[in-house]
Parts: sequence; C-alpha cells; structure tokens
Amino acid sequence: MTALANLRLPTRRYALGAGFTTEALKFFKYWIAAALVLAFALPFAVAQWNDITISAWYYAANAGKWFTAFVSGGFLFVLVPNMIATGLTRRELAVSMGLFGVLWSLALGAIACAGLLAERASYAAMGWSHGIDANDAIAPIGSAAETAAFGAHYPLLYLVYFAAGALVGAASYRWESAGWLLLVPVLPVVFSLDNALYDTKPVGPGWAGFLGGLIGDWGRGLIIALLLATAAALAAAAYRILIDIPLRAKKA
Amino acid sequence: MSFTVNLRGVSLRYGSEDALADIDLDLEAGKIYGLLGRNGAGKTSLLSLLAAFRKPTAGDVLVGGEPVWENAPIVSRVALIREGGDFDDSDSVKAVIEAGQIRPSFDTEYALKLAERFDLPLKKKVRDLSRGKRSVLAAVTGLAARAELTMFDEVHLGMDAPTRDAFYKELLAEYMDRPHTVILSTHLIDEVANYLEEVVIVDRGRLLRHADIEAFQGMGATLTGPADAVDALGLAALAEQRLGGTKSITVADALDAPTRERAAAAGIEIGPVGLQDLFIHLTDPERKAA
Amino acid sequence: MFDDGTPIYRQIADQIKAEIMNGSLEPGGKVMSTNQYAAFYQINPATAQKAFRELVDEGILYKQRGVGMYVADDARDRLAADFRERFFERVLAPLVREARQAGIPLTDIIDYLRAQEGALQ
Repeated sequence: MTALANLRLPTRRYALGAGFTTEALKFFKYWIAAALVLAFALPFAVAQWNDITISAWYYAANAGKWFTAFVSGGFLFVLVPNMIATGLTRRELAVSMGLFGVLWSLALGAIACAGLLAERASYAAMGWSHGIDANDAIAPIGSAAETAAFGAHYPLLYLVYFAAGALVGAASYRWESAGWLLLVPVLPVVFSLDNALYDTKPVGPGWAGFLGGLIGDWGRGLIIALLLATAAALAAAAYRILIDIPLRAKKA
Repeated sequence: MSFTVNLRGVSLRYGSEDALADIDLDLEAGKIYGLLGRNGAGKTSLLSLLAAFRKPTAGDVLVGGEPVWENAPIVSRVALIREGGDFDDSDSVKAVIEAGQIRPSFDTEYALKLAERFDLPLKKKVRDLSRGKRSVLAAVTGLAARAELTMFDEVHLGMDAPTRDAFYKELLAEYMDRPHTVILSTHLIDEVANYLEEVVIVDRGRLLRHADIEAFQGMGATLTGPADAVDALGLAALAEQRLGGTKSITVADALDAPTRERAAAAGIEIGPVGLQDLFIHLTDPERKAA
Repeated sequence: MFDDGTPIYRQIADQIKAEIMNGSLEPGGKVMSTNQYAAFYQINPATAQKAFRELVDEGILYKQRGVGMYVADDARDRLAADFRERFFERVLAPLVREARQAGIPLTDIIDYLRAQEGALQ
C-alpha cells in the first residue's frame, strides 16, 4: 500500500479495493509485459519454419485465468492476518476483495480482449490465419466483431477464477492443512464451464477436458448464466469462510 | 478518548481445550496495565479477543463500551501488536509502515521518526530483518497507530536491553502525551513494574488477580532466621528454603505489626518479595488453585 | 533506583520530604509536575500523582489549580516533628536490639554517641 494519506472509515474499504488492484498490477507488471512480448514475438519466430494458423495470444489470455486465481488466493492469504491486525473488519476486507476482483477482472479482461484484436490485425498483415485449436480441427475466430465478442468473455472468466482463488485462499488460511482440498470440488466445476464456453480444450491438464464434453451443447446463454452463478456462489462461500475467520496463533 | 474494556463471562475454546474459562474483567480507560501469566495461561487468547483477532466461544467482549467484534469504528482504534508483528514478509519496512495508514489515526510522520531513531532500514525487506529489528518494527507500528487501546504482546522478545529500555521510555512519553489505555503482556515483570498502574494475572485460563501495582508491591515478604523461630510464627508459606539451621520462607500477605515485632525480636530478617518472585509463587503449578 | 519492599509512590513521597528537609526544596517553592516526575524516574504518572496526593493530605504540599504544586510554608516544621518521632523507631530501636544481641552494654553506646557529638562540635 502506498496510500499518500490516512484512509477514512466509512469509505476505506473501497479505497483499499482500488488500492489492491493497482498494487497487484504494479507488482506483476513485468510478468504481464513478458506475456505480451512473448505472445506477439513467438509467432514471428515460429513463422520461420511453420505456417501460423492459431492464435498465440489465446494461450496467454488463458494462462491469465490461472494467474488470476493465484493472485486472488495469494493476496487474500496474506491480507487476512495483515489487514485484520491493522484494524480492518472482516466485512471491510471482504468488500475490498470483491471490488479488487471486479476491477482486476475488468483490467485483465480488457488487456486480453485488446490483445486478441491487436493480434488479429498483425496476423492479417502477415497473411496468417487467426484460429483456435479445437481438438481435431482449427476453428477460425472470425471477423473483427466476432473476435471482440470472443474476447469480451474474458472479464467474466477472470472473475470466476478470481472467486475460485479467493475461496481456496481463504480456506487455506482458515484450515491450515486441509483448506486446499476445496480445489477438489471447485476445479471440475470451473473447468467444465470454462470448457463448455469455448467448447475447446483450455490451457490446463488434459484430463479435465472430458468434463467439458458432457455439457458441450447447452448453449452460450445458459453457460454464461451458469458462470455468473458460479462466480456468485464461490464469492459467497469465500465470504462465509472469511466473515468469522480467526487469526492464527503466532508460532513461537 | 481512551477505551474501557469489559469482559462478561467470556470463554474461548480451541477444540476441546479451554483457553479461557468464564472471565469477568473490567479495565478503566486511560491506564497502563500489566498482563502477567505463564506460557499458555491465556494471555494471548485474552488479547486476541480484545482486538477481535478471535471471536469468543461464549460471553461478551466490550471495548469502549461496544461489542468489539466486526466493529470498524472500534477495531480501527484498537492495536494488538504480537511478537514479530503481523507483516507481509515480502514488503519493505517502509511499505509496512505505510500500511498503517489504513487506520484513520495512524501517525506516519511519528512512525518514520521512530524508525530513524531505532535505526530501521526503510528499504530493507521485512524477511531480511534480524529478530530484534523485526520486534522494533512491530513496536513502532503499535506506537504510531495512536490507538485508544494499545496492546503489546511480548513484543520485547528479541530486543536487546538498551532497545527495550528505549521502547518503554517512548511508550511512556507517548502515553503522557496522549492518554490512552495500554496493556503490556510480558514475562519481564520487574522491568516494566514501574510503568504499570494495575496488574492482571491470568493462570490456567482463569483470572487469578487484578489489583493496583501497589497492592502487589505491598504484598508478600520473605522471612529469614533460625528455623525454630520462623516456624514458631505459624505463617502460611508460599515457598520455603532451608540452609542448616536457617530457614527462609515467602508469604503472600502483608505482615501485620505484631508479627513484624515478634519476628524482629526473634532475630528474623524481613525482606521484600519482588513482583517477579511473587508472580512465580502465585502461579506455581504445585500450588492449589486459589 | 527504587527498592522492592515499599510502594514506589511512598518512596517518592519520602524523597520529596528528604529534599525539603535538606533544603533543596524551599518552602513556597514549586515542585516538578506529575509528568516531569514520571519522565524523570520512568514511572507511571499515576504513581507520581499518588505521592503528591499523600503529601497534600499531610499538608506538606499544596496545590494551586492550573499552576502546579508548591511546598507548604510550614512543611519543614511538620516534617521535623514527624522525623523526630520516626527516628527513634527507625534508627534507635534496631540499634538497641542489635546491641543486646551482641552483648554490648548500653553505657558503651551512650559514651560512643557523646564522643561523636563532641567530634562534630
């Protein structure tokens, strides 16, 4: 936190939520920059030997989901003792975290979407096809409008991963040895919906791909509604764990 | 406006273990309290409840007359500093200090002044600090919080003697500058005794004594003399020692004038009991619960 | 600085009394404030205040609202009477007791005291 002045009580939870976002973006600025450079430079390197047919940025944007879950879980795990010891209530922390989640997902989602559009332009200039590896076939992303529509899902997906990360982070602080086990129910649900949305294999362990197949043709509207509901349910569960969380005893 | 503290029938259970059992305690606003107790007696548990680090299993915890749990206007003005501090170890010292600004009352200028005085390297990461410097950083964030209830839980651990001395001095100066309620939890009782107005002793999860420091200082005596003469006084001894024909006993109560005279006449020397020794005797596990 | 046996406030009161007796505090003179005492001796200000309250009750000090504490004009007389009374109890009683234990006759002590008094004059 590098706030310039003391925060005031009724609004400090919002100031903190915004502060966490800028802190996190600042903290990981080199990682984000590296992902950008890599995703744009790699196709030019590969083009020396092979035809470019699939979007590299798609993988970077998908890795952003994991990154988001890691950021939210890691931050919350550290913030619980720090913030409560500095005189913040759990409710205030929960509200700040919620705001952090929305702002982070929007910010990273905007980068992901803009990246896809920029990549489309650069691929078009090079005469490469801008597509996605959909298991056996390569599906082209499509026109500029279709690419934008495709990229517009990222904020929502990031939000779901953020909520999942926060839940596991809060649980890991609360139940020192067992909290991470929440990954077992959370991962398949998030994976399946994520998969279902694209009906493609996400970046991640291949074994989870089959789950996506089960709900492959539910229709986009329903899947989006389910993603929203999942984000809400994960956030509610995280809130429940957080709201009466005790600070751990210090180890002697 | 300093905070009062009221505990009503407070219990705290970890699993099946009672950390605190049915505690009633009232602390007036604006005093410096010493919280004494052996390891595991419940000192840290008690302080954790006052700072809303934990929720009691039963009972009410009031700070400043209000329930402290999830009460932002109260907890933002309560500071519990635990040994080693609650920091993000990857943060710099400066970042840790600035995080204090989450409190409306945090005095950044004062914190930076203290950091300079205590030689804290602002740019260094917390994880690279020595144990002593880490304790100092914790103490600095506690002092600069300018809270209405400030609690230091064994924060002196890891500080060397001159640093502890400087810390107590600063604590007293800050207290006189701005009256507020202070609780010092410590093992080094004699070192802080002069700073205290009242003393609270917890033992095995229960409140053992709560009284003015003077009550403790007037309490107790050691009597040393010929074994027969010492025995003849018929006093209830907390502890006794024998060397040849000489016997030394420690008693918990103040001696009345006739006893003093009789003892003096029998050639028995009467000496004071330090607070530390008195505490050791009062919380002796061999001793039956009072 | 302080010994363990007596409450600190009493030790401070005794010290102020001693300062009045030996003349370092003059009758009518101003005494340090509670906070100054607390900072100087590194004690809780409430402890210093207790010492002052006791001295005010005994008529040794008087308080002028908003200004501070002053030494009463007759403080030294009061203390002298008090001191004389306690001198016998504090100094002479143990002396007699120890002399008896050591088997020193009282007349030897009297002779010694006379000689000391002569030397001082």
